[in-house]
Amino acid sequence: MDLFSSMRVSASGLDAQTKRMNVISSNLANAETTRTEEGGPYQKKNILMAAETDRESFSEILQGELDEHVQGVRVMDVVKDDKPPRMVYNPSHPDANEEGYVAMPNVNTVLEMADMVSAQRAYEANVTALGAAKAMGQKALEIGR
Amino acid sequence: MSDRIFDSTIGALNTSLNVRQLKQNVISGNIANADTPGFKAQAVEFEQAFRDALGVGQDLTPAGTHPGHMIPHDTDPIDPEVYDDPNGVESLDGNTVSRSKEMAEMAENQQMYEASIEMLKRKLGIVKYGITEGGGNK
Repeated sequence: MDLFSSMRVSASGLDAQTKRMNVISSNLANAETTRTEEGGPYQKKNILMAAETDRESFSEILQGELDEHVQGVRVMDVVKDDKPPRMVYNPSHPDANEEGYVAMPNVNTVLEMADMVSAQRAYEANVTALGAAKAMGQKALEIGR
Repeated sequence: MSDRIFDSTIGALNTSLNVRQLKQNVISGNIANADTPGFKAQAVEFEQAFRDALGVGQDLTPAGTHPGHMIPHDTDPIDPEVYDDPNGVESLDGNTVSRSKEMAEMAENQQMYEASIEMLKRKLGIVKYGITEGGGNK
């Protein structure tokens, strides 16, 4: 248990939020994509996060000094949103069906924007936490000086 | 006059730094998991852990069986309780982390950690002053 553990946990948070940001960007970029490799319109991607106990080294685990309570975060998976596509009436669109409706991605841009702000704030919070741990470590080096 | 160089102050500050460090770890874990579904915010019981470690209410002076004994006044190794924060409000995904609360607690924790270090520095400064007969301190 040391401050490096805190830094690693914050770093895992930064990592997870970056991945989340990637997924959001992908959703926004493909908000109007009607063709994909799998066929059909683009499907919104969701990120799945899970808490994970911080493990530093083998010896630490061996010594049984693992602090179960200090938990980092890990991106487990990126899953597709199974919500039905938005049907938009646009007969001139090349992907329109017989009735003139086009299946558009199930991406809600407003929701994605809100999610993006949330990811940004979460990232900033992790940066601050990392900065705090670093400042504490720096301060500790002053002992006895 | 105190006959000890390292009295209980240093032990207490040491304990304080350890608990603050653990708290920093727990808080960064909470912040990292602020978006993890089902994650429960963790909390450290600082005051109680500190009191236990210092043995408040117990006899603080260990027995010196020889006048030359230097008693280090070590505090007990700390094992503060980390528990699921019961005050957390559960959001729709089952997460109980309040990011603003964690940030505020982290700021407080950092300040207190640095204050403890500052005190430790002063304390060691006094010791140094004594060792060098008043000459070594800047």
